[in-house]
Amino acid sequence: MRVVIAEDLFLLREGLVRLLTAHGFEVVAAVASAPELLRALLDERPDVGIVDVRLPPTHTDDGLRAALQARRQVPGLPVLVLSQYVEQLYARELLADQAGGVGYLLKDRVFNDEAFTTAIRGVAAGGTVLDPVVVQKLMVRHSRTEPLTRLTPREHDVLALMAEGRSNAAIAQRLFVTEKAVSKHAAGIFAKLDLALSDDDNRRVLAVLAYLGS
Amino acid sequence: MLFAIVLLLTIGCIAFILVRGAKGTPRPGGLRGRIRDRGWALLLLPIAMSAAVMAGGAHGLIPAELGLAALAIVFAPKPAAKLVPYGVLGLAIFGIMLARTYNDGSISRVQYLFVDAGWGIWGAPPVLAEAGLLFVIGLWLLLRLNSPGAGTVRALTARWLASGRRGISGAQALLLIPVVGLAVQLLGPGNWFGWQAIDGLDVAVMDLTLFAGALVLIFRSRAWAATLAEAGLLVLGAYGWVITVFWPVVPGFAYGFADLNNSPASAHLWTVAVEGSVLLAAGLWLAPRVMRHHLTDLPDPELAARARHLTQRVQTLTQTRHDAVDTAAAELRRIERDLHDGAQARLVALGMSLQAAQRLFPTNPEAALALVAEAKESSSLALTELRDLVRGIYPPVLADRGLADAIRALALDTPLPVELDLDLPGEVKLPVASAVYFSVAEALANVTKHAGARAVRIQFSYSVGMLRAQVTDDGSGGADPALGTGLAGVERRLATFDGILAVSSPPGGPTILVIEVPCALSSPKISSC
Repeated sequence: MRVVIAEDLFLLREGLVRLLTAHGFEVVAAVASAPELLRALLDERPDVGIVDVRLPPTHTDDGLRAALQARRQVPGLPVLVLSQYVEQLYARELLADQAGGVGYLLKDRVFNDEAFTTAIRGVAAGGTVLDPVVVQKLMVRHSRTEPLTRLTPREHDVLALMAEGRSNAAIAQRLFVTEKAVSKHAAGIFAKLDLALSDDDNRRVLAVLAYLGS
Repeated sequence: MLFAIVLLLTIGCIAFILVRGAKGTPRPGGLRGRIRDRGWALLLLPIAMSAAVMAGGAHGLIPAELGLAALAIVFAPKPAAKLVPYGVLGLAIFGIMLARTYNDGSISRVQYLFVDAGWGIWGAPPVLAEAGLLFVIGLWLLLRLNSPGAGTVRALTARWLASGRRGISGAQALLLIPVVGLAVQLLGPGNWFGWQAIDGLDVAVMDLTLFAGALVLIFRSRAWAATLAEAGLLVLGAYGWVITVFWPVVPGFAYGFADLNNSPASAHLWTVAVEGSVLLAAGLWLAPRVMRHHLTDLPDPELAARARHLTQRVQTLTQTRHDAVDTAAAELRRIERDLHDGAQARLVALGMSLQAAQRLFPTNPEAALALVAEAKESSSLALTELRDLVRGIYPPVLADRGLADAIRALALDTPLPVELDLDLPGEVKLPVASAVYFSVAEALANVTKHAGARAVRIQFSYSVGMLRAQVTDDGSGGADPALGTGLAGVERRLATFDGILAVSSPPGGPTILVIEVPCALSSPKISSC
């Protein structure tokens, strides 16, 4: 799987390259600034771009903006954004185009290389992966609003894990229930939130998130 | 006589309407309203007529004046009504001038209001009394009807009242010259106050200079009076030369010691030139000295007021700087403590875990692995703590995107529906933006914690150098900056930038919190890639 990495701190960049190479990814470019990132994403067309939010030249959210611009030119170009902090505002901007293939994670999720590489593969496959911190904030914000109060606690858990980009199988494993039970919960959630059923995991997640973001 | 009654009746009507109008009675519609609207302007008719009659037998003027008044009433009734006070004032001035002509020996008889004025004991004083009354009425109407010029009159009055305390500015002192000159011309210094008649402009200039100088001396300072006298000298000198060069175009009866008596034959023009030259020379010699004296004359009321203002400003700045330094120091202490007890401790634990793992690795690889996992956990916790700390020092979105997006992010993180109305035409400088951000964050935290609110509204606007933020919630109210440290801290934080916090929070709500900070806006950030 071909990967572009954008990270301005040398140690972290090299660490990421080493980690991904060790897990069988092919790092086609490892860049340190937003303009280089944009060029690499558009020239290399990687399977996924791994992008730090804060990059030169202005050291603000250049990485995020470069990723968004690349996705405007190449719709659905998979991008996994890493950051020292996660903001709902940025999550919304990433999800706004509804094209999927988006990830937004805290940098320390790299520590768990299993979960991290699963997330990369999920994003590359067009899925949506949100950091549990973002999901938690979304849930807190909407826990008092009308449709979410209709969900049972277990359905809440399932919805949160779905927003993190987990498959039904992964959710089942995490909650120690059968996959069938998860499917049943998911159907319940969609019914209560008045969302159309779909086989596509990513579509489901996007629909839920669009609903939460409204 | 009839006219006087009509005039008084109309003035009485105006007064009645004004007093009634002040109570807020609604204006009737239809014909009555129209009559009332036009009625204002109808007052112009008798006034214009009287002015024309009293203009002194110029009968041709009467139809013209009446025509003008009628046109004004038909085409512009409201502006015409505003001119009524000027009609009354004009009548008053006419009365004063009439009295003056009697004093000068005129014997023609004229009806002025209730008095059949003429030479003799019943001449001037009753006319003057009536004129004075009309003057007061005219001035009152001017202020009540808010006619053009009312603002100036009010400002001058306020200034005059204040001048007893603070003195008047140099420009105003100089303005006194034409004003006093006009008054002197109007009243006629002939033998009105027993003054010497004005025979030449030089005497008028001298009178004016002396009079204005005296006023300035009373209300302002010696330096300004000296400057005025200096200006008078120069004008007088120049006037001498004007007489010499332009005779007989410039009328001259007398100039200094030269008695021209309307003919240069009785005196030699060169004496006028010499006198003018002497005055000019004296003026030019004195000018730099007077100015130097003027500049060093410190007990100037304006300077004193400035000094008072600056002293107050320095006191405010000292206080707010003190608070700012205190706040910053407390903040640094908190950060140091958080780092010491948090991230630093975690990193020490991490190092110890790794050290133990290294030691255990050859003998007990499984135990070593467990320790490495522990170290990983430690580093994760350290990162979380650092993240929270950084957010408290400087919110990332504020650094990335500026105030508007930072407030949007704040609203998204608030577990309540937040309605946003952010109207910021540019970027706020970071220090001010940070203060405003944390103030709004504190307000939102209070709403979430205490108010029991169901919705919050945040409005930002900017006009004439003032950033205004308003946080409104529908909670239970009762917030008070005097209680608790949160809002007091916000007040201190804003004071550093001359900003203010106002809270309206009656029991039962709603709570409205307003922040105002003077600041400049830079052009909006432009996406760089």
